This record gives sequence, C-alpha cells and structure tokens, in this order.
Amino acid sequence: MDVPEGDRVPSVIASHLDITYRVYGSGTGSDAGGPGDRQVDNLDEESLMRRLLARGLGTVGRREVQAVRDVSFVAYRGESIGIVGANGSGKSTLLRTIAGLVPPTSGRLWLGGRASLLGVNAVLMPKLSGRDNIWIGAQALGLSPAQVRAAFDDIVEFADIGDFLDLPMSTYSSGMGSRLRFAISTAITPDILVVDEALSTGDAHFRARATERITAIRENAGTVFVVSHNDSTIKKMCDRALWMDNGKLLADGEPTPVLGLYGRKYGKHRAVWRQRFDEAHRIADAEGAEAAAEYLRRWDKNASWE
Amino acid sequence: MTELGPDPLRLPDALSDAAAEALARRHGLQQASVRPGLVGYARELWSYRGLMWALARGEFVTAHRDNYLGLLWSVLTPLLLGASYYLVFGLLLGTSRGIEHFITFLTSGLFTYSLFAVSLTSGSKALLNKRGMMRSLQFPRVMLPIVTVLAAFVGQLPAFGVLLVLAFWEQGWTLPWTVLLLPVALLIVTTMGLGLAMLTSRLVHAVRDLANLMPLVVRLLRYVSGVFFSVELQLERIGDAPAWVAATLTYQPAAVSLTMVRETVMTTEELDPTTWLVSVGWAVLFLVVGFVVFWRGEGSYGRA
Repeated sequence: MDVPEGDRVPSVIASHLDITYRVYGSGTGSDAGGPGDRQVDNLDEESLMRRLLARGLGTVGRREVQAVRDVSFVAYRGESIGIVGANGSGKSTLLRTIAGLVPPTSGRLWLGGRASLLGVNAVLMPKLSGRDNIWIGAQALGLSPAQVRAAFDDIVEFADIGDFLDLPMSTYSSGMGSRLRFAISTAITPDILVVDEALSTGDAHFRARATERITAIRENAGTVFVVSHNDSTIKKMCDRALWMDNGKLLADGEPTPVLGLYGRKYGKHRAVWRQRFDEAHRIADAEGAEAAAEYLRRWDKNASWE
Repeated sequence: MTELGPDPLRLPDALSDAAAEALARRHGLQQASVRPGLVGYARELWSYRGLMWALARGEFVTAHRDNYLGLLWSVLTPLLLGASYYLVFGLLLGTSRGIEHFITFLTSGLFTYSLFAVSLTSGSKALLNKRGMMRSLQFPRVMLPIVTVLAAFVGQLPAFGVLLVLAFWEQGWTLPWTVLLLPVALLIVTTMGLGLAMLTSRLVHAVRDLANLMPLVVRLLRYVSGVFFSVELQLERIGDAPAWVAATLTYQPAAVSLTMVRETVMTTEELDPTTWLVSVGWAVLFLVVGFVVFWRGEGSYGRA
C-alpha cells in the first residue's frame, strides 16, 4: 500500500501486533482435562488411572492465550477511534498495548507522544486518601511536584468529591472513584488518550462534562481511542471504528458501516444474515461472484463479493 | 471473513514492516515497549524519585491503617518478635552461651535480617503483585522492586528505634560512639536488598514457581547467618572447619551485614574494616548486577 499522505500526521502505527498472555495453573494445552479426554469405558482400570492423573495434573503447567493476532493500522492526529467487538475479542488488550502497558509478543508499535490509559480499572491505592492518590496518580503521569500543585485544585474541582478528599478511596462510591480517576488521567492533555469504557459510569452531568473534556483533547490534535459497547456513544464520539473479533481486526472504517457489519454477526438479526451469506456462498459457487454480490445488494447496496 | 460473506469495508492492506518503520521515522514517532539505553533508563528512574517516595510511604501507611492500634504496631511487632525469639533461643535452647548482651545481639540480628527477608519475599514478587498498576500506568518498571524495599526500610525504622532503646538499657545505660554509623550500615544493607529485589523479581517474573522457593531460602539463610547465635563462636566450637567454609559462613551477605550492624550498636564489638569493605562490596555488586539484569528485561514485563 502507498504511504498515506496529505497533511495527516500519524500518531499510532501498529505493525503486525501479536499479543499472547501466559495463563498459569490450568493445564498445558487446550485439550488438558477437556471433554475429549473422557473415555466411555469407565471401568477400564488403565483409563481410570489416566483420568485421575489428568485431573491431578490439570493445574500443572501453563498455556498461552492469543489475545491479539496480526493487527495492523495507522491512526492519525485529531482522530477519534472507537473499538468495537464482543467480550473477549481482544479490545482491552489492544488498548493496553497502545498505551504502552502490555508489551506485544511480536510486531511493532510506534507512538507519537505520550499515551495515557483512562480506565475504570486504573489502580490507585484504595486505602489512601483521595489527596494522596491525586499526588501518586499525577506524578505517575509524569507531572513534576510543582505541576501537581498547580493542577491540584482543578482535579479536585472536576472530580467533585468534596469532603471525601481526605478519606480513603475505599470509602468512595463507584461514581466518585471513577470521577476522580478521570480527573487525574486528564489532568495533563495526553497526545494519545485511551478510554476503556470509562464513560459508562457516573451520572448524566458528569458524562456530559467528560465528553466535553475528551472533545477538547481531540481538538488539541490528540488521538482518542474509545472502547464502548454502546453503538450511539461510538457514533457520537468517533469518526472511525475498528472491529475486533477473536483477536483479529475485521473491519476499519466509518463507524456506521463498521457497526453494521458487527451487528450482522452478533446483532438480533444474525440468524437472518447467516442464511443470506450461506445462500450467497451457494450462488457464488454456482454462478460466480457478481451474481452473489447482486443477490446481497437486495439488503446492502454496497455489497461486493470476493 | 468467509462466514461474514462479502466485506464492503475491505481492510486497508497492512503496511509492510519496513514501510511502517519508514512512516514512523518520517514523522518522528517513537517505538513503544522497547528497552531504553541503560543510562537513559537510570535517568528516567531518577525523574520518578518523588513518586517512588510517595508510593513507599503509601505502602507503609496502607500496611498500618487497618487496625485499632495503627502505627503503634510498627513498634509492638518487633518488640513481640524479639521477646518470642528470646524465649525460644535465649532461654529454651540456650544459643546465648558465651554472648554478652544477648538481647541486643538477638534483636539487632533479627531486625537487620528482616530487611533481607522482605527483599527476597515481597521484593521478588513486586512485579507479580503490582500487575494491576503496570497495566494502568507507564513508568520504569524497576520502580516496583525499589518501592517495595524502600517501604520495607521505612517500615523497619521503628524497629531500629526499639533496638537502640534495648541496647542502651541492656549495656548499662550507655551506647558506643559507633552507633553514629548505624544509619550508614542500614543504608548498605538496604542497598543489598535493592539489588536482590531487582534480581529476584525478574527471575520470579520469568519463572513464577521460584516465588514458592523464596520463603525456604529466607528461612535457611536465617538459620545459618547467626541471627540468634554467634557464627564466630560456633566456628570455634567446631574447631577444624576448612578455611573456605569459615570464610563463606562469616562473609556471606546476610552474616556480614549482621556483624556490621552489631559493630555499631554493641559495646563488646569493635569496628572491623574487613566487615565494612566486604559489605560495601556485596552492596555494590548486587545493586549493579540487579539493575542491569532488571533493565535487560524492561519492555517484556506485564504480559505474564
């Protein structure tokens, strides 16, 4: 492919990323202790021993889980990119890698500036007060003590935690906690902001303020990645969408068509679409690709068939 | 893709690795998750020193916030620990034979050894226990073992306060002038602990099962390092131990650290330059090796 040009400046370049997790204590392979090991002949002593052994050793060893497979894309400054996909499709893992937190197993990633993850899971110290956590979180984002002092009041005001500032974070409601995390994470304007379903928490007023802040970051020529299960959030906030499925990147483009494609596989009309594609496959085999495309254009005017 | 049928949004062809690199270079993008140079790494670490102290403090406070007596436990725990060791080894087993001021001897050994023990147990698990933090924030990962050891050091300071009071009382309301060197001795021991924590945390990150062996190593080392008996007297009792065995038992890191601390607080011990030189040698060796070994793995932590 030609190098994308124009006045667009890339901020994230992902080249053939693979990310593999190690999982311990659940056997060594996908077949350990699985149904495939079951023998019909339960009385056979040898098989009984083998099954007992398999059960005992079921917690020995480690297996590898491929969370992301061969994902490549280029993101540009000023873009707001939504990542959609079913649970366990590798969205969060991909985000953590973009934020520089989980190193890829193979493939390479380039970033234009500092990436910061804004996630509901961001870990601060629950037994420490909000005040202490602002200091820890803001310094971890790279602020100097003087900068933290300058930004402190702004963070407190945005988080709106009032008298809870000096109480341990474990006493906060979930809304308060996520407001504080959001306020800390956006205390500096990161070049690349990665939002992992953070906007689903908090009340309507806070969501509105949060959206406003994200828009501001985007307008400062930053790049925003958002994971959300809410189609309207993606359509409202993003101008590009990536669809991840089973670790692979399946679609990359405007949010509406990408969401449409995703909906075909997982939405409420998935059975209907499955039938249509089965039929299209049959037509393609019998009459060729163009006939199959023609068939699909009854429902999707952009349809094509490879 | 086949089960989806046609794809109206064909994925843009992936850039080849070389093209991606060229594009990144033209726009000045930095490759992520790669190991920085050793000096750059050290410099980056230095810029995070404020955060390290905040985290170490936080860990210390966290450890003592959840109960009624709170910070008082940081004094009570070492006192009770000292009392129970005195009961078992001083009174029941009689390992105190031939040691003057046994309470000072025992508590100085016990508290100093704790610094070692924490470096090997908590320090080695620093990367595993802080996975959540690694997955939400970016920072030089070597901070994690450092913070764990710093927190242990801060947490151990009240115990050394207790030690000074006991030593003052037991040695006839007097302390040797060498007590002024106690902070230096503790810094040397902590430096050894830092190096050990960096080294073992990378090992445990690579081979997790090693974490289960650490308590064993800690216990073994506790029993051979002269926490509650005198290595010197024991060697005299054996009499004909080969020279290398005697040297190993006397100058291995834990034993020599204990001797060094005792030389500062006990009136019966005199400063021995060899003790101090060997200790500093171990500290520098562990710190340098530990830092380099840990740095070599940077860019791979966090996936396990």
